[in-house]
Amino acid sequence: MARVGVFVCFCGANIADFVDVPTVVEEAKKIREVKFAIDYKYMCSDPGQQMIRDAIVQHRLTSIVVAACSPRMHEKTFRKALSDAGMNPYLLEVANIREHSSWVHQKDKKAATEKAGDLVRMAVAKSIANEQLHEISVPVTKRALVIGGGIAGIQAALDIADARIPVTLVERSPSIGGRMAQLDETFPTLDCSQCILTPKMVDVASHPYIELIPYSEVIELNGYVGNYKAKIRKKASYVNFKTCTGCGACWQKCPVKVPNEYNCGIDTRKAIYTPFPQAVPNKPVIDAEHCTMLLKGKCGICAKVCEKGSIDYKMVDEVIEREIGAVVVATGYDLWDATPYEEYGVGRYKDIINSLEFERMVSANGPTGGVPVRPSDGKVPKTVVFIKCVGSRDKAKGIEFCSKICCMYTAKHAILLHHKVHDSRAYIFYMDIRAAGKGYEEFVNRAQVETGAVYLRGRVSKIYQKGDKLMVRGEDGQLGQEVEVEADLVVLATAVIPYKENPALARLLGISYDKYGYLSEAHPKLRPVETAKAGIFLAGCTQAPKDIPDTVAQASACAAKVCGLFAGDTMKKDPMISTVNNEFCSGCQNCVQVCPYQAIVTEEIPLGHGAKEMRTVAKINEGVCQGCGSCVAICRSMAITLAGFTDPQIINEIVAI
Amino acid sequence: MDYSKQIQDIAAKLFTDGKIDVFVGYRMNGFDDNQVPAVITDPKEVSTLVFTEKSVFNLSNYLKADHTRNKRVGLVVKGCDSRSLNLLLTESQVKRDKLYIIGIACEGVVDDKGQKVQNCMECIIPDAVVYDEILGTPKGKKDYIVNADIKALAEKGLVERREYFEEIFENCIRCNACRNSCPLCYCTKCCIDQETATIYNGSNTSSSAFHALMTWSLHLAGRCVDCRNCEKACPSHLPLHLLHKQNEKVIFGNFQNHLAGVEEGDRGAFYKYSLKDPDDFIM
Repeated sequence: MARVGVFVCFCGANIADFVDVPTVVEEAKKIREVKFAIDYKYMCSDPGQQMIRDAIVQHRLTSIVVAACSPRMHEKTFRKALSDAGMNPYLLEVANIREHSSWVHQKDKKAATEKAGDLVRMAVAKSIANEQLHEISVPVTKRALVIGGGIAGIQAALDIADARIPVTLVERSPSIGGRMAQLDETFPTLDCSQCILTPKMVDVASHPYIELIPYSEVIELNGYVGNYKAKIRKKASYVNFKTCTGCGACWQKCPVKVPNEYNCGIDTRKAIYTPFPQAVPNKPVIDAEHCTMLLKGKCGICAKVCEKGSIDYKMVDEVIEREIGAVVVATGYDLWDATPYEEYGVGRYKDIINSLEFERMVSANGPTGGVPVRPSDGKVPKTVVFIKCVGSRDKAKGIEFCSKICCMYTAKHAILLHHKVHDSRAYIFYMDIRAAGKGYEEFVNRAQVETGAVYLRGRVSKIYQKGDKLMVRGEDGQLGQEVEVEADLVVLATAVIPYKENPALARLLGISYDKYGYLSEAHPKLRPVETAKAGIFLAGCTQAPKDIPDTVAQASACAAKVCGLFAGDTMKKDPMISTVNNEFCSGCQNCVQVCPYQAIVTEEIPLGHGAKEMRTVAKINEGVCQGCGSCVAICRSMAITLAGFTDPQIINEIVAI
Repeated sequence: MDYSKQIQDIAAKLFTDGKIDVFVGYRMNGFDDNQVPAVITDPKEVSTLVFTEKSVFNLSNYLKADHTRNKRVGLVVKGCDSRSLNLLLTESQVKRDKLYIIGIACEGVVDDKGQKVQNCMECIIPDAVVYDEILGTPKGKKDYIVNADIKALAEKGLVERREYFEEIFENCIRCNACRNSCPLCYCTKCCIDQETATIYNGSNTSSSAFHALMTWSLHLAGRCVDCRNCEKACPSHLPLHLLHKQNEKVIFGNFQNHLAGVEEGDRGAFYKYSLKDPDDFIM
């Protein structure tokens, strides 16, 4: 005979305000199998757990029902309490009377109480059919995959590798470095971006625990935490990296000129190229979309000039596989296209550029040698207007969120402009100055005082051309009047948006993303680097707009999570997984089709006892199974059982209402 | 439609060439002009094989029996039969390389009174879709028809419809002939026979019959090929096709004109997931 203990929680006022807890206890006591029922203010607290432990011993309970918050919150806590009292932890059932009753029925206490009673009755009925289950141990592959070789990916890879855990770093472009490699100087200390980044890039390339796979993409991820299998497509580079010395003869002689992505298309690169001089690895790749040899079969100059014979026009994409235990996603950001701002004349006037283009121009290794120039006539601008929040915080045309970094980099741009063109003046149209961060407010003050940048609080309504100048008409909110600035150059701080292929990547990895395309963290406050899928972590702007310090901090946090995951040789796994009853299995393999984790394979068993003829049945890989129950639902002959959710348990639950 | 001679010749040749162990066809029942399935292992019996518009049964049902399992089988299939055979292939119940399939470009079969049966009048795919050789001239695909019975059913309300089926199923004697005659009911242990499935276990109460038949129809939803072996087998003459035709209509309308077993590898609407699947009925 089952002896069930019921423990009903007040959850402070969360439950007690809308559910009459003592009534629920009285209702529970009416159930024949319930031998003990009690309420308490906070069941998850130590005294609350002690009540459970004591009752198990005193009342010789055979299963426990805790009526409290969602099992997602405290199921583990209460299972541990059962374990401590010497009871199998899976004899616990949680009745969620908070999210499922008190919170959603705040207007009707009577009905909420009745529903809480029902939920407790169901949990009691289910717990009677609960069986003792035992945790499964699965081996862990101690290798991390880092997707994206910007500063986030670099930092995560270095930190993980420093813990002597092998890392595979996959980067889609020919070189690591990412957006940070495009920046000139960085706020708030104005240290040169390249100078602080390049040593880290070199560290990545030379680290014995890091395998760097540039110019490639992750195309498939199967498996589960600790035991993922990733397929990576290495795009054909047409250059043999093993023999190439990076001498540069090929790209000097290449006759094809292509807009240079690294410099935002301001100048050109060749069809065989390295993205920038400090590239890691410093080996060129051939751009198959523009190379005349690959397109038309004529040219072949690079192959002729290459002394090492490293050019191979017949190279094809290669798919490589890696077994990994954890994934860090660091795919970075793009800039929003400001074309919807028609009144600014985006695309019509050449002298309107975005902030990254400005960044490239003021950069010492940039296309203009570190001096900003007007794209229209190449003259050095004297009056530059910066417009912030172009796309950001704009529900009508752009995106609702704040891009976070633009206030700071625009202040930086004002300072850089002053450094490069001493007699220039910056006008900055802004909505608010958001300079929360160590040394940030001081930095903005420095821009205002030192460089004489004019901060105008207001939106720009129109930009039009007058002679060779751009007239920027806007509002000065502080004076409450219209202003018009005669500008040589206009720089738009366009919104930061996630990497465009984030949704596709999220589907491939099986994680979620928000309406903008940013990948979603498991909890915005308490689990900011984890995703909802165990073993996959997020670093940098792939999760939300971030500056470099925040990105590096999050990347290191990812590394800590990965190291924690790999701390033991095996991982404990929930035993709530499916099993196949061979006797009933008819081998239709529908379960194989519906399993989202590829956890089901087939095996051949004898047709009958001692028979030579074989038949096919399904077999579940217990390491891979996540206990979702899809196979149970699809199985016509009811040959599959999900531990913890067996038919008798579910039927008991239904009958109890 | 009389292919008796051709089938006898093909079967004889298959036996002589040693390509098959068993041939499944039709023969006369011996006392009137109706036919019964013939499972032939002796080449001498080939001359008893017939095929006319009286060849009503779906012979793919016989592939799940012990005397054909893991043997090389020669088989005659009409359009509907070939679709259920396709599903058996897809669901790994038979192996294609062990079969020699004689497909028929079917012109429809007739009942005892010589009338063309209802499902043949509404047949969408009369030609065999999987075969090694085909007899007759293929006629191609026809339009999907929602028949008068199903239209009448649609006019009934939810409660009314349930009552209607409950009333019909009161005559069910739980003999399970419908299930046993269905080519797609091959499960080693059917769910309605399992001890834990108490909902089906009442011996012959109308409620147990209702649940059993409803479950059965859902297990065949998106798979039933409308061969009506079940109705031919039912001793209580229940209009079982109403269940299947209703499901077929819903699936045809909602899942990109899906018809069961037309393509090999197609498991049916319930057993695959596509981004195009309708979800407007989900709250």
